[in-house]
Amino acid sequence: MFQHLTSAISQILPEVVLLAAACVNLAVGPFLIGDDGTAPKGLQHRWGVWSLIALAIAGWLQCVPAPVVEATSLAPFLSDSLVSFVRLVTTVTGVVLVMIHWNQTTESDSAESHACLLFILAGTNLIALANDLVILFLALELVSIPTYLFLYVARRDRSGQEATLKYFLLSVFSSALVLYGFSFLYGVAGTTNLTALHQVFKNYEFNAMPAMLLVSIVAIVSGLAFRITAVPFHFYAPDVFQGTATSAAALLSFIPKVAGFIALIRILGQPSVTAATHLGYWSLAAKSGEMLFLLAIATMFVGNLLALLQKNLRRLLAYSSIAHAGYMLVGLSVAVSVPQINDDATSASAGSIGGLPALLFYLGVYGVTTLGVFALIASLSRPERPLETSDDLAGLSKTHPAGAFLAAVLLFGLTGLPPTAGFLGKLTLFLSAWNHGTDLGRRLAICLAINAAIAAWYYLRLIGVMYLQPSCDDTRRTTGVPAFVGVSLCAVASIALFFAPDWLWQALQRVGG
Amino acid sequence: MSELTPALLWLIPGAPLIASVFIAFFGKALLRGRSHVPCIAALAVSSACAGVMMLTFLASPSSLKQDTSLLSSGQIDGLQAEAEKHELKPLATTPGYDWSITDNLHVRLDLQVDSMTALMLCTITFVSLLVSIYASGYMHGDPGYPRFFAAFALFVFSMCMLVLADNYLTMFVFWEGVGLCSYLLIGFWFQKPSAAAAARKAFVVNRIGDFGFILGIFLIWKTFGTVKFSEVFDLVPSIAQTNPEVFTTICLLLFLGAMGKSAQFPLHVWLPDAMEGPTPVSALIHAATMVTAGVYMVARSTPLFVMSSTAQMVVSGIGAITALLAALTALTQYDLKRVLAYSTVSQLGYMFMALGAASVSPKLATFAVTAAMFHLFTHAFFKALLFLGAGSVMHSMGDVIDMRRFSGLRHVMPHTRLTFLIGSLALAGCPLLAGFWSKDEILVALFEGTKSGGHETFFTVILGVAVVTAFLTAFYSFRAYNMTFLGEERFPEEAHHPHESSPTMTLPLFALAGFSVVIGLFLGPTGVYARQLSQSTSLAGHGEHPHSWALMGLSAVIFAAGYGLARWMYVTAPAVPAKLESGLKPLHHLSLNKFFLDELFHYLLVVPVRVLALLCTLFDKYVLDGLLNFVGSMPSTIGRAVRPIQNGLVSNYAWIMLLGVVLFLIQMLRALAG
Repeated sequence: MFQHLTSAISQILPEVVLLAAACVNLAVGPFLIGDDGTAPKGLQHRWGVWSLIALAIAGWLQCVPAPVVEATSLAPFLSDSLVSFVRLVTTVTGVVLVMIHWNQTTESDSAESHACLLFILAGTNLIALANDLVILFLALELVSIPTYLFLYVARRDRSGQEATLKYFLLSVFSSALVLYGFSFLYGVAGTTNLTALHQVFKNYEFNAMPAMLLVSIVAIVSGLAFRITAVPFHFYAPDVFQGTATSAAALLSFIPKVAGFIALIRILGQPSVTAATHLGYWSLAAKSGEMLFLLAIATMFVGNLLALLQKNLRRLLAYSSIAHAGYMLVGLSVAVSVPQINDDATSASAGSIGGLPALLFYLGVYGVTTLGVFALIASLSRPERPLETSDDLAGLSKTHPAGAFLAAVLLFGLTGLPPTAGFLGKLTLFLSAWNHGTDLGRRLAICLAINAAIAAWYYLRLIGVMYLQPSCDDTRRTTGVPAFVGVSLCAVASIALFFAPDWLWQALQRVGG
Repeated sequence: MSELTPALLWLIPGAPLIASVFIAFFGKALLRGRSHVPCIAALAVSSACAGVMMLTFLASPSSLKQDTSLLSSGQIDGLQAEAEKHELKPLATTPGYDWSITDNLHVRLDLQVDSMTALMLCTITFVSLLVSIYASGYMHGDPGYPRFFAAFALFVFSMCMLVLADNYLTMFVFWEGVGLCSYLLIGFWFQKPSAAAAARKAFVVNRIGDFGFILGIFLIWKTFGTVKFSEVFDLVPSIAQTNPEVFTTICLLLFLGAMGKSAQFPLHVWLPDAMEGPTPVSALIHAATMVTAGVYMVARSTPLFVMSSTAQMVVSGIGAITALLAALTALTQYDLKRVLAYSTVSQLGYMFMALGAASVSPKLATFAVTAAMFHLFTHAFFKALLFLGAGSVMHSMGDVIDMRRFSGLRHVMPHTRLTFLIGSLALAGCPLLAGFWSKDEILVALFEGTKSGGHETFFTVILGVAVVTAFLTAFYSFRAYNMTFLGEERFPEEAHHPHESSPTMTLPLFALAGFSVVIGLFLGPTGVYARQLSQSTSLAGHGEHPHSWALMGLSAVIFAAGYGLARWMYVTAPAVPAKLESGLKPLHHLSLNKFFLDELFHYLLVVPVRVLALLCTLFDKYVLDGLLNFVGSMPSTIGRAVRPIQNGLVSNYAWIMLLGVVLFLIQMLRALAG
């Protein structure tokens, strides 16, 4: 028993570090605050550095190969290349999130909010690690519950409270759906272990599936669709993004998407069990592809069409984040409609690419780009001179040239124009769908192209406003330094990944062809 | 070339690129008046690297072996050359930058160096280094100082990449890159309407040529299935058996591209206008380097061109027409820079004449191409020298460049005068100077064409044109020199205090003058250049190297005649030009107005295109716009229709989510049922 525990912990060492650091925050934080509720000046800087240290240690531990554990497929955690990819993504975006959050929190709240952030990042990693329905659900909740707190701590005025409450209620609803689906799954298979589960379902023909299994798939996909803001489970996003603090909106635009997509991948199949056994399979994919297809189409169109009408920047980014979820769903629906993931026949021809690598590549690229935009808002926005609507951007090229340039780079990335990684992301998704060889794939590819064109309108309009419209106030804007470092990191990464996409492909190499 | 490290190779284009980006980002805020420092430093690094690379080529065992047989180099028979070709192929291909868009979709950017590239690189980096030093003095105090050097460094990067390309596509990309830089630099003083118009003209005329070039590349891709030089050239024999006609089409399309870039008739009209740019730009881009890209491209494609004698004759013919026409135009121009510009056009025509002579016989192909490339090489030095000298005059005369408004500058600007004289002598073909040797090789190549090869009559005409052009060249070179530096001392009123230029400007002049004197003698008749170049992958080894003392004597006589006539007309008897002018009014008028080609183009091309554009505008405005506005308004209309669902009520949201779940459930169950 004890042996199992140590072997399990050795698998999740980086996450243990993150969780421990967060616990330190919670335990020590209250003592640093005086009796009258005032905190020493600059406390948030100390906690920011602390979070960075924790992330650095976790990142270092990821690089150290975990002790090889006897491949007991019944273990609660399973470490494969998908895990290392997720860890890479959460560590990098975690650093950026800490940067964004740095000046967004007050001294007295800084300990708790940084603790929440670390919990969320650890939870996201654990979702990828989970090999058991129970662990998976716990990990999902380890993301959700600190998120509620984070939303509330970060902004406590009326609109902040409204946003938090909306997110809380609807999120609980979606968690319930997921749990409902899990219980059905357990009911059919008789086990909660994912590996065993997939062994059971592997040979099921679609028509022979018990109806109960279908109910379970619909419930789980719907519940997780809430996390990835897929239509029609997206309604909370614009309201919450607008109402909450910038750092919380940044978090919501990306981390739940990672959580949702990774959980979906884990539930729907087992892409590759370990590096050694390459052949994965999508045991629950049959016909869920059609549901994902509908989700993808609806999400892309609704997100982009409604984004066209938005004036408020964060609302616009919310719809943009919905639209990007739609693009990623294209990758997933293409991926699951091939029963064998590592099909050598399809991966051999030049230019073809599996839906799963395309999706994961896009996920990483999107994370860097969207967080960059939020970081820019966090960096330049001041209570007396906010950056709330697109009109506030007017004349940014004069009032903050460097910021305007970086924003232009990032918006190019979101549009999917070279020379940014966003271009490669859209290109690979398009190629994966188009070369899939099915009508479904081609329809998705065409819809993707149409939507990319629609999206260009509202992104490029923002660049136009920054560079062409005169500002009513020509004084220079001040910069929030940590968040601006985050912006620069993101912009550099999005250009670097265009020229050297290998860095990300290498991390993806074993996830699937 | 195993000892040639890839890093060295990458540094040649890399250093100017870094400098360019650095100046572009920090020039305005940080560097300002020091913007030339990174540019000059980078070019120094590049030229040092290019020099080291050239030395490794020179030191390679193959050329050492040839040095011992220096005397017999003219008599190496074809078989021996063929046998040596395989070991004499010093070719460095660096594993370049690999852009993997996906796991199995790769775009590779490899650099390739053979002796032709190495020689080009040395010329480019060295001349641009000298010109950039000169420009730091010439452009001093200009408000666009950082912008100038950013574009300048970017140009050198693009030009190096153009010659380092290992396939036609990369070449085309950087071909466009140098075109872009040229556009930016011609229009450097974009406030001047004439500069903006000249930049646009250069860009548009070049598009016509580029259109042909890209079509040629498509055809190569379609025929050969690859655009890589080495693979294409390896496939030439097999394609020649199955589809020999295709070569003529490919070569003519490629040559169309070369005509645009290298300003060949009738696409030469942009180059004289390009003199609106700063003079260092005229010297580097529009005389020494970029305009020779077309010559380089045709020389690089020699294995293709030798397959089609029709295409070769077109190349020679167009070259001859251009050389003659431009030389005739240069006779009467009063703008010093325009004289030099037409002279550049004329000399480029000379190079193409030589390239065309490659069709005479396979043995002579190498010699003809070598002649053209050698003329390119020497021309780069003395023409850059002449332009920089003209710039020095312009600088001193308060930006006046009309030769009627000043004269007798020999006392005020002794250094400029001396160097300009050397440049003029080199251009005019004075024996022992650079231009003499390279021009002589071209004449020899053409003379061989009159003896054999099946197109004797054609090449007799071409040779005649070349000889006449050589005479005209000598005449107009010294007409310009005499009008500017000799005669009574006169200054325009814009020149507040005429003075010799600063050392930053005169030192590059002296360096270039030194090269103009020696490179011809040291590299030409000794065969060093030819032996180096013959190791290029584009050339079939070392071929014949004919000499002709008679032709050498002829060109010396031609030079003397041109020089003497110019001396007589502009120094001894200054009244003669005016008399001639009135006596031959129609001819003078024709030459002064550049044979009315601009006007001809205006009515033949520009006006019809304008009318077509007007029709398109009307169609666009009244038909397409309406349609597009309708389609464009659809998304927002739909968006507005969907918007009310997003009403902010959390219970509504939950209901819709539930509705979504139910709908999906129904759909799935229906699918299960059948």
